[in-house]
Amino acid sequence: MTFDWVTFAFQLVNVLVLLAILRHFLFRPVAAVIARRQAETEATLKAATDARAAADAAMARARAESDATQAARHDLLVKAQGEARTETDALLDKARDEAARIVAGGKAQAKRESARAAAETLALARDLAAAVARRALAAQPAGLAGYAERLAASLWALTPGERAALLQGDGLRIVTPRPLSARDRTAVTRALAPFGVKPAETTDPALIAGLELRSANGAIRNSLAHDLDRIAEAMRDERG
Amino acid sequence: MIDTPLSAAPAFTLGPVTVTWPVVTTWGIMAAMAFAAALATRRLALKPTTSQAVLELVVTTLDGEIRATVAGDPGRFRTLVGTLLLFILVANWSSLIPGVEPPTAHLETDAALAAIVFAAGICWGIRERGPAGWLGGFARPSWVMIPLNLVEQVTRHFSLMVRLFGNVMSGVFVVGIVLTLAGLLVPIPLMALDLLTGAVQAYIFATLALVFIGSAVSGEHNADHPPRHSHGQGPNA
Repeated sequence: MTFDWVTFAFQLVNVLVLLAILRHFLFRPVAAVIARRQAETEATLKAATDARAAADAAMARARAESDATQAARHDLLVKAQGEARTETDALLDKARDEAARIVAGGKAQAKRESARAAAETLALARDLAAAVARRALAAQPAGLAGYAERLAASLWALTPGERAALLQGDGLRIVTPRPLSARDRTAVTRALAPFGVKPAETTDPALIAGLELRSANGAIRNSLAHDLDRIAEAMRDERG
Repeated sequence: MIDTPLSAAPAFTLGPVTVTWPVVTTWGIMAAMAFAAALATRRLALKPTTSQAVLELVVTTLDGEIRATVAGDPGRFRTLVGTLLLFILVANWSSLIPGVEPPTAHLETDAALAAIVFAAGICWGIRERGPAGWLGGFARPSWVMIPLNLVEQVTRHFSLMVRLFGNVMSGVFVVGIVLTLAGLLVPIPLMALDLLTGAVQAYIFATLALVFIGSAVSGEHNADHPPRHSHGQGPNA
């Protein structure tokens, strides 16, 4: 067995060259890509950690903002409720005052309306009374003789049956507002002479003026009171 | 009949220099490994292909082994240990190619590998601990141990060389003898055993180289019995 130093030297150089070759073509590129991937992974993990931390911070901020919003909402609610209560009380007080003022105004208005209506009614009654009196007085004859003539005319205007029933009825009487004077009695007698009756004389102040013939079977109205009633009824019918 | 494995047959001569077949075979292995490495690392990407994943697995495993043995950055020793492992593995398995004799079956190649490990241990020991620190390591645990430590420094690298040479050479020798006596198919089981032996020897050589360099870096001299790795010292170990 011999030891070949030349071969030993060749192999020494060969292995050193192979070291350089594999270092350049194998170990360094592979280690570099592993390191690059590890760096990428660490960067990704760091980014994920940072993102998570940022998300946590954002969550905490959002929670704090939510709490603050809730507190502000509660404060606003309490404040709004207080203001609403105050406003409601003020409005109610104002409404009560307004209602009291309206009621007072209404009462005053009603009082004024009532007074005005009473005045109008009074004026209407005055006008009505004046009109009634004017018509009634316009239709009255002059003196009792005139009433006696109008009574005779009314008797003549009846049918013979009606006239006979009236004149022959029990308790035939002449009704005047005042006792007849002699001149008035003469006038009445002269007016009733064609009918052949001589009735009794009675007074009724309610007639105001005039002369009426009454019996158990009827009566001839011939007085101012009767005319006033008729005129008033007629005017009431006209207004109605 | 095969030639004796104890001497390297000359392939050709360059003037006064005779180039032997182990050197030529080593050149072929170097070319093949360089081509394969360049091809495999041509398109490395962050999203690895299957071949890239295998490469990364090899490098990562290598780093893990280095980290388990020597503290610090495994990148310092990755190239040396990885190159030793891959070269010895490919050289041992080159015997599968008919007519090719593995260069590790010749003492010169194993001596060159052991010499590189020896030099690397000295260089890294001095670089990491300084000349005084490295030399001071020989006086541990006592100055009385200096001669023994100096002898150990040589003998353990010598044993590294002889272990690889003996295992690979004996395998090639046995296969050659059986092939000569029995015929074509009979040596196949022995060749398969050679594959296993070649892989184990590559691993042992790389690991022991790492342990020796690690001991030089850390200053410990019980490197043949590292805490994690324990290899037998039998005839085939």
